[in-house]
Amino acid sequence: MLTVELLAGAVASAQSRPVADSVAFMKALQLESDGRYREAAPYYRATLFGADGQNAFLGLERVYAELGWTDSLLAPLDSLLRLRPADPIYRSAQLRSLQSLGREAELRIAFDDWTRAAPSDAAPYREYARMLLQRNRSSLADSVVAQGKRAMGSIRGLESEVAQVRASTGDWIESARAWRMALAFSPELDQAAAYSLMPIPSATRDSVRNIFLAPPAAVASRLALARLEMTWGAAANGWRALRDLPPDSTSVDAWIDFAERAESDGQWAMARDALIAAGKARPSAALSLRAASAALNAGDANTALLLIPLSGAGTDSARIARLYVPLHVRALATVGRVDEAQSLAASFNRWLVPALRSSITRTVAWGWVRRGDTDRARQALAAVGPEADSSDTAGWLALYEGDLRTARHLLRTGTESTPELALALGTVARIKVDRAPEVGAAFLALARADTIAAAAGFVAAAAATPDAASTLMSIAAQLYVARKDDPRAIMLWSRILDQLPQSAEAPEAELDWARALLRKKDAPAAIAKLEHMILNYPQSALLPQARRELDLAKRIIPAADAAH
Amino acid sequence: MPHIDQMIHKGGARRSIRFGVLLFLAAAASTAGGQKLLVPMDDEQQNHLKAYGLTYNAIKANQKAEWLLNYRGGAFLLPDLPALRREAALDGITVEQISNARVDQIRAEMAAANMDAVPLEKAPKVAVYTPPDAAPWDDAVTLALKYAGIPYTPIYDDEVERGDLTKYDWLHLHHEDFTGQLNKFYYTYRDVPWYVEMTNANLTAARRLGFANIPGLKKDVAERIRQFVEKGGFLFAMCGATETLELAIAGRTVDIAQAFADGSPPDPGADAKMDWKMALAFRSAHVEPSAYVSSMSDIDGHQVNVPGRRQPLGSFTLFNFSAKFDPVASMLVQDHRAVIADFFGVTTSFTKALLKPGVTILAFEPGAPWVKYVHGDYGKGTWTYFGGHDPEDPQHVIGSPPTDLSLHKNSPGYRLILNNVLFPAAKKKPLKTSP
Repeated sequence: MLTVELLAGAVASAQSRPVADSVAFMKALQLESDGRYREAAPYYRATLFGADGQNAFLGLERVYAELGWTDSLLAPLDSLLRLRPADPIYRSAQLRSLQSLGREAELRIAFDDWTRAAPSDAAPYREYARMLLQRNRSSLADSVVAQGKRAMGSIRGLESEVAQVRASTGDWIESARAWRMALAFSPELDQAAAYSLMPIPSATRDSVRNIFLAPPAAVASRLALARLEMTWGAAANGWRALRDLPPDSTSVDAWIDFAERAESDGQWAMARDALIAAGKARPSAALSLRAASAALNAGDANTALLLIPLSGAGTDSARIARLYVPLHVRALATVGRVDEAQSLAASFNRWLVPALRSSITRTVAWGWVRRGDTDRARQALAAVGPEADSSDTAGWLALYEGDLRTARHLLRTGTESTPELALALGTVARIKVDRAPEVGAAFLALARADTIAAAAGFVAAAAATPDAASTLMSIAAQLYVARKDDPRAIMLWSRILDQLPQSAEAPEAELDWARALLRKKDAPAAIAKLEHMILNYPQSALLPQARRELDLAKRIIPAADAAH
Repeated sequence: MPHIDQMIHKGGARRSIRFGVLLFLAAAASTAGGQKLLVPMDDEQQNHLKAYGLTYNAIKANQKAEWLLNYRGGAFLLPDLPALRREAALDGITVEQISNARVDQIRAEMAAANMDAVPLEKAPKVAVYTPPDAAPWDDAVTLALKYAGIPYTPIYDDEVERGDLTKYDWLHLHHEDFTGQLNKFYYTYRDVPWYVEMTNANLTAARRLGFANIPGLKKDVAERIRQFVEKGGFLFAMCGATETLELAIAGRTVDIAQAFADGSPPDPGADAKMDWKMALAFRSAHVEPSAYVSSMSDIDGHQVNVPGRRQPLGSFTLFNFSAKFDPVASMLVQDHRAVIADFFGVTTSFTKALLKPGVTILAFEPGAPWVKYVHGDYGKGTWTYFGGHDPEDPQHVIGSPPTDLSLHKNSPGYRLILNNVLFPAAKKKPLKTSP
C-alpha cells in the first residue's frame, strides 16, 4: 500500500510539470533502460492517456514487474479499460497481471468481461486458453476454447489453442487437424506444431501423416510434418513430405531448412536430396558444393562427382583448388579412381595451401589403402613429408602391415572417430605383442571390403595370437553374421564358449548365438542359451539386455511391432 | 552374497536345466542349511513385478511363503531352494540369503512395529474375463500377470454363462462395458473396422447364448459375476469394468442402454428405478442419459472423455493400515511408494460421495472428491476396484503401443495390481478396522 501512495505522489508531481507526453515517454524509456525502474514508473504513468498511451502502459507493466509491483497496475488498467473496454493490449495485460498475482476468481471475471466487451473477437478465448495451457490446466482450457467456438460459430483464430488442448489430452487426430488449420493462417507455427505432436504414439502416426499430406500441399504443414518425422527418427519420411512441393521460393527455403537439420543430424542422404532439389530451383555453386559434400558423406561418391563438374567450376584456379579439388579427390579415391585423384591433386598443387595439400595427399593415400596397395599409399604419404608419419592414415598402414605398436600410438592419438577405428583400437589393445602380421592382413582384407577373406583372416589371426583369440574370433563371427552365414558364426561362438569361457567375449558369444537361434525361429533353444548365459555370467554388462531378450523369446513382453 | 553360478553349483543344477519350476520345486524337498530367501520389496529390489511371480510359483509348488507386511516395502520370505534362486537370477529379482537367526531378528523387529507376517499358503486359481481375440497386452492385469509369470485362464461370455466361474478363486475383469454399450463409442467409431468387428462378435455371442442384444447378455454376465463374489470369489476390476459392472447389477431390470445398443431409448426414469442394494460398491449414482456423452454415470470422478467435465490428473496416496489388525487392506497397499502418479481410464476414479458405507478406501487424492482404489466384502467374497487403464501409460488412447513392462519393472502402480493376485493366498482371516 505504501508503494501505491508513493507512486501517486510521484505521478502528481510529474503531471504538475508542463512536460509534453512524448518527452515524458522518452524520459521513461531512458530511465528504464538505465535500470532506474522506480523513477521511470511515474513518467510512464503520466503519459498513459496520451498519444503514446499503449506503449507507455506496456512500459509501466515492465517496470512494475521488475519492481514486484504488479498489483499497482490494476488501478490504471481499470481506468484505461473504461475508456477502451475491448482493447486487446489492455485486456491481455489484465489477464497476465491477475494470473501472476494468483487471483483466479478475478481472472475468470476479467475474461468474461472481455468476451462481453468484444463478442466477436477470438482474442479473449485465445489469451485465456493459452494461460491455462501454460499452467497445464488443459481441461479448463478445453472448456474455454469450446466456449469460444460456440460464441463465434467456428474455431477461426483459436486453431493453435484447440490444437494444443487436443494434444494435451492425447486426442492426436483432432490436434493434427487443428494444427493444419492453424498453419494455414500462421505458417510460423510449424515448429510449435511439431513440438506439440512429437509424443504421438507410433500406431497413430500414419493418420497424422495423412492429415498433413492431404491436398492442397501447403509448405508450412509439410515443413511441420518433416520436422515431426525427423524427431520420430524417420528422416526419409520427412523428405517425402517436402519433395513434391512446387519449386517456389518458400519451398526452396523449406528444403534448405530441412537440409540443415539433416546435416546436423548426420542424415546425409536426406540432406543430399534436399540440397539437390533446392539447387535445381535456385542454382548456386554453394548449394551444389554442399550437396556434393552431403553425397560424399552418404557414401554416394558418383553423385558428388556429377554435382560439381570441374568444367562448370569457372576459371579461378585458386578457388577451384580450395572448394572443388578436395571433394573431387575424395570422391575419386572412394570409387577407386585413385590414379585420377592423384593426377588432379598434382595438377592443382601450386594453388593448394599447405594444410589442404597435406589433407588431400592423405586422402589419396587412403584411396590406395582401400585398393589394398600399401606401397603406393606409403609413396603418397611420403610426398606429404614427415608430418604424414603421424597421420591417421599412417596408423592404418601400420596396422595393415602388422606393426601394432605404431598403430596403437597413431590411431589412439588421431583425429578420426569411426566404428572401424573403435574396432581396431579395441582389438590392438587386447594384443600384447607389437607385431602381428596375421591381424594386419585381416584388417587389410576388411578395408578392401572382402568380408569372407577378412573373416578367415581373423580366424587365422586368432590361432597365431592366443592372447586376443576370443576378440578375433568374435570379430570373425560378426562378419559371418553380416553375410547371413549364421552356421559359421555359430561354430566360432561355440569355440569361444568351449575353449575360452572366461573371456570377455564369452557372454557376448552366447547372447549372439541365442539371437541367431531366434532368427531361425528356434525359440526353445534360444531360451536355453539365454538362461545359460544369465546364470553363468552374472557379472556381465550384457545381463539386462539378455533378460529382456529372454522375456521377448518367451513372449512375456510385447514385441516392438505389437499394437492394440 | 555369493555369485549365482556358485549358488547354482551348490544346488547341483549347474548345466542345461530345462524344467518347469513346479517340477523342480517338487524334487527339491529340503531347503539349503536352514536358510531363507528374503525378497526385499523396497528400493533394493531390482524387479518388483517378477518378485510376485517368484512368490506365486513358490506357493503353487506347495512351498511355504510369508508376506512381511510393511517390512522393507512388503517383502516376501521364501524357502532357500536352488530352483527359486535360479528363477530369481534369471529374472533379475533381488533375493537375500538369510539365516534362521536373522529371520528371528526380523520377526522381533516386526512385532514391535506396524508390521506383520502373513503366511501365504494356496496359490489362487486365476481367471481373466477377456475377449478371446485380445492380446495379453490389451489390459494392464494380463500384462502384469504375463510379465510376472503368473498363470491365468482367459474366460469370456461362453464360459461365464456355462458356469465356469466356480472353477476359479480370483477373477479379473478386462476393461469391459457391462452395460452392453461398448463404452458408448458408437458415434465416434461406428464405421471403424475394429468397432464393427467387436459389435458383430458380441451380438453373435448374445444371440448364441439366448439373448436379444448385447446389453441383455452383459447384464446376465454381470449378475453371474456378482454371484461369484457373493459365494466367496475374489474380484478385481479396473477401468470401465468397475463402473459398468455396478450399473449393470443395479440396473438389471432397468433399460439403461442407448438405442444404438438395444434398439430402444433408455428409460428416462432410470435413476429412480436402479436397485443399488445389489451393487457391490456404489449407491445412488446418476446414469448418464445422453447417447452423445461418453460417460456412463457420475461414478467416475474424472470423466476423461467428456470435454467439459474432464478433470486433470493428480496423484493418489495409499492409505496406511494396521498390518496386525487389518491385514487384507494392508496387503492390498503394500508398495515402495506411498504417493503414485494418477492415470486415466474410461473410469479413472470413483466419486467418494457415492461409495456405500463400509467400503474401504485404499488410495485417495487429497482434497479431491474422488478416490482411486477401493475394496470391500460382499457375501462370502471380496471385491477390489482400481480406477484407470494402465499405471504406466497415463493417457492411454486407442491405438497406443502396448506397455513394455520390462521397462517398468519397478512400477508402484502395477504392484497394486499384483498385490491383489497374492492376497487371496493369505491364510489369516481378515479382521477389519476400516478407516
